[in-house]
Amino acid sequence: MMLNYHPTIEMLTDYAAGSLPLTFSLAVSTHLEQCPECQQQVRKLELLGAHIFTNMALNKQSTESLKQTFFDKLNAIDSQRPQADNLLARETLTQHSNNPPEALLDEYQVPSSLGQFIKRNYDELDWVRLSPAVKIATLCEENGVQVALTRIKAGAHIPTHTHAGEEITLVLEGVFSDEKGVYCRGDFVTRNAKHKHKPRVTKDAECICLTVLDAPIEFTGWLTRFLNPIMRRHHPSTQ
Amino acid sequence: MERAKQTQAEGQLVQDMQAVAEHRDQAALTRLFDHYVPKIRAFCLAAQPGANLMADDIAQEVMIRIWRKAHCYNPELAALNTWVFTLVRNVRIDYFRKNGRHQTNIDSDYVFQEIVDESADPFQRAQTKRDQEQIKHGMSKLPEDQKQVLHKVYLEGKTHKEAALELSLPLGTIKSRVRLALHKLTIHIKR
Repeated sequence: MMLNYHPTIEMLTDYAAGSLPLTFSLAVSTHLEQCPECQQQVRKLELLGAHIFTNMALNKQSTESLKQTFFDKLNAIDSQRPQADNLLARETLTQHSNNPPEALLDEYQVPSSLGQFIKRNYDELDWVRLSPAVKIATLCEENGVQVALTRIKAGAHIPTHTHAGEEITLVLEGVFSDEKGVYCRGDFVTRNAKHKHKPRVTKDAECICLTVLDAPIEFTGWLTRFLNPIMRRHHPSTQ
Repeated sequence: MERAKQTQAEGQLVQDMQAVAEHRDQAALTRLFDHYVPKIRAFCLAAQPGANLMADDIAQEVMIRIWRKAHCYNPELAALNTWVFTLVRNVRIDYFRKNGRHQTNIDSDYVFQEIVDESADPFQRAQTKRDQEQIKHGMSKLPEDQKQVLHKVYLEGKTHKEAALELSLPLGTIKSRVRLALHKLTIHIKR
């Protein structure tokens, strides 16, 4: 399936170079799982990184003593922990993250990039109810940036709000739309302080999104302003 | 046939990787150490001149991962240099995370997963070869200002925003330089 909304080339470049904060990288990685086009782009950006890495001007400093230290350390580690166990443990980890053994057909497939935070399914998370139709669950935080899942009931909308900072929304399940477009599974939507929007979920299914927020969102409707303290309480930049 | 086209030096390194994976061959690991450690140190020192301890730590951790993960390297899918570059990138991120630059528990293994689908494409390796040639050729012709921003992003681990601050240039200028460069290297395909 071709997706319509992608990370910018700047963001993909920062991701491939390893300079993008991990919070944003997690959203990029989740998008990549579903976007062959961006995978190709990242593959090329990594080739560029490899080219720059390979053609570094080297200084003449000897690495002999570092080599001695390294091999001493390596032999010490390997004698403590047999290599076979080590490899086995890694393999089990990879397999687990790639195909959760207990995934049922009628359940959602959790992207493997989120495997660190979600072992089996979305229901295991600590969902906080914001309104009868909207729940959020925080996955992690870094330097005031929050990574969370938002779960919105079919047909519901999120009241009009603005963003103090940058917000990334990645659709994991379902479909939502706003004034600018319709967003499906895998679509990567970036919104910043300039945008004021009112997303609505289609009537046929609930919508689950991964969101990366670098400041709490602000609701602008007169009735929904009471939600702002709740949003702030759940956002790391205000704690 | 692909193997024959590789330079002899890389061919030797790839064999060393196999020797490490299959026979836990420390002599092979020593050759990989001699080849890659000076590059890894130079890569780290470009970001923070004088940070020799950091460079040594990162270089050692990369070599430990090569020792442990050599069996994961598949020469049919990627050039060894590319595989090692991604290791270095991830180790550097983990190093910053452990040492306070990132206060997070996000595991870089999950953020930079190998995408499995690519292995299904038999033309991938040939395509990658062509891309590599284009990048090599393109880089040699790139104007200095465009090369400089690419180096900031890749070598120094700066985001576009940080690079803009450091060079005292508007973010838009940085963006357009990177875009121009990526376009010339045929990396960025306009959507």
